[in-house]
Amino acid sequence: MKIYRTLGAIALGIVIAAGMSAPAMAQDVDPALAARLAEFKPMPPPPVEALAKEFKSAEDHYQYLLQQAKGGTKHTAATLPNWEGLWTPGPNTIAQTFLDGGKFSGTGTLRAGAGPVKKGVLTPPYEKQFMERRAEVDKAGQQVFDRLTRCEFPAMPRWLWEPYGKEFSHSPKQTWMMNDFMNETRRVYINGKHVNVDGKHSATGDSIGFWDKDKLIIWTKWINPADFTRGAPLTSNKIEMVETWRQVQGAKGARQLVTQVTIYDPIALVKPVSLVYSHDYRPDLEELGVRIRNWECSNSSNSYLGPDGKTHVYLPGDSQYKDALGTTDFPELPGQSMDPFNETAK
Amino acid sequence: MKYSNSITKALLLAVSVGAAGAALAHHSFAQFDSSVQIFIEGRVASWSYTNPHSWLYIEALDEKGELQKWGFEGAAPIHAARQGVTGNTFKVGEKVKVIVSPIREEGRRAGTVCFVVKEDASIARPNDGTCDSIESIERWKSKGWLDSAKHLDKHPTAD
Repeated sequence: MKIYRTLGAIALGIVIAAGMSAPAMAQDVDPALAARLAEFKPMPPPPVEALAKEFKSAEDHYQYLLQQAKGGTKHTAATLPNWEGLWTPGPNTIAQTFLDGGKFSGTGTLRAGAGPVKKGVLTPPYEKQFMERRAEVDKAGQQVFDRLTRCEFPAMPRWLWEPYGKEFSHSPKQTWMMNDFMNETRRVYINGKHVNVDGKHSATGDSIGFWDKDKLIIWTKWINPADFTRGAPLTSNKIEMVETWRQVQGAKGARQLVTQVTIYDPIALVKPVSLVYSHDYRPDLEELGVRIRNWECSNSSNSYLGPDGKTHVYLPGDSQYKDALGTTDFPELPGQSMDPFNETAK
Repeated sequence: MKYSNSITKALLLAVSVGAAGAALAHHSFAQFDSSVQIFIEGRVASWSYTNPHSWLYIEALDEKGELQKWGFEGAAPIHAARQGVTGNTFKVGEKVKVIVSPIREEGRRAGTVCFVVKEDASIARPNDGTCDSIESIERWKSKGWLDSAKHLDKHPTAD
């Protein structure tokens, strides 16, 4: 308790010096933990790494890296890198890649006024669409409708940024990358070959990879058209990606996953672009008890696309309203409420 | 559980001097008018701590003095958790004063929550990225609005 009083006194002095009057914050978590949650800052990622040379395609890029790694490191369960824990996304270079003077804002979206569209990065039709999107963002303050409202998967490359909880699990034959958002899991088939018995594309596409010591290299293809994030450019159904993942250690036990990504998209991009993404290990959220749960979009999200092209919301009393704390299809039976602590369903 | 006020001040300071950026919503919040905030008093009807967004529903009087259900959208659980808000922060029936940016549709009793003053005068911040709750709390305090506000009072978010 003494350290709490000391910390509080120090903070109080600074608060007074700053001329602030602090309200008591409602807390049902330990205040020391709450302070750590509030103080958390993601590690800055390294710059985008220049490619060793220009590659004609994602396949050429991947095969070059595989050759450089002499076929890759054949890890066993005992030698695989350990990326355990709960992670949240940190800074990335989406804004710098597509906007003149663009900077990572921390909110994930490319904000209004973030900068003019960088010319010559996107092909003419994609650049035109992006300029229209940016004009909408600058006028309305943000993109007025996001496809995720329909409970769509973020898809690649947006998966790399969506700022929710993520977990990573390795086995010698597969790596699983699990996202809180839509419970969207990527599976990377280690030393595998691309296969497509589905005869179609998907949100996360098909990923194969190999280890180069502690680095995981991934080639992903057959991805549905998507986007980089809200307020950012669209991607086409010809997008392919080469990623290099590596865990780095920071001060005081901090851990970061750095992802160097090169996007090959001959329909949307004039030439391939390289970006860097990051994730930070979050022991503070783990201590609070945050765990990846079921994504309840289909039975809790009341947002929808209106006929005016904008986002609207259903409210209690509207026939389409969905009560996330309501009942199953059998309300007449006891024990069918989704809110057993309070039984608020009416 | 009660903790010392000095610690809560430390928390506020830590947040105010530059913690992680505001949260990203799963959908656009352009349907809410972030240029104004409304003060609404009521009792918690339900607290839905669900992905992709939390919702705080309260029962409060409308302009005609009739008791109605109001809905206020907040952050996803993982973002609310970063601000010390959990699924146990609000209890059904408790009195709350909610500061929200209203929905742009006339006659709809909804908004996006910025911050909530609980009955013990402590403040909870279940807000998503549309609202800077630390800045708003300071603004409402410095203007004296938190002490003087009456139900359905409306104030601009900037001078």
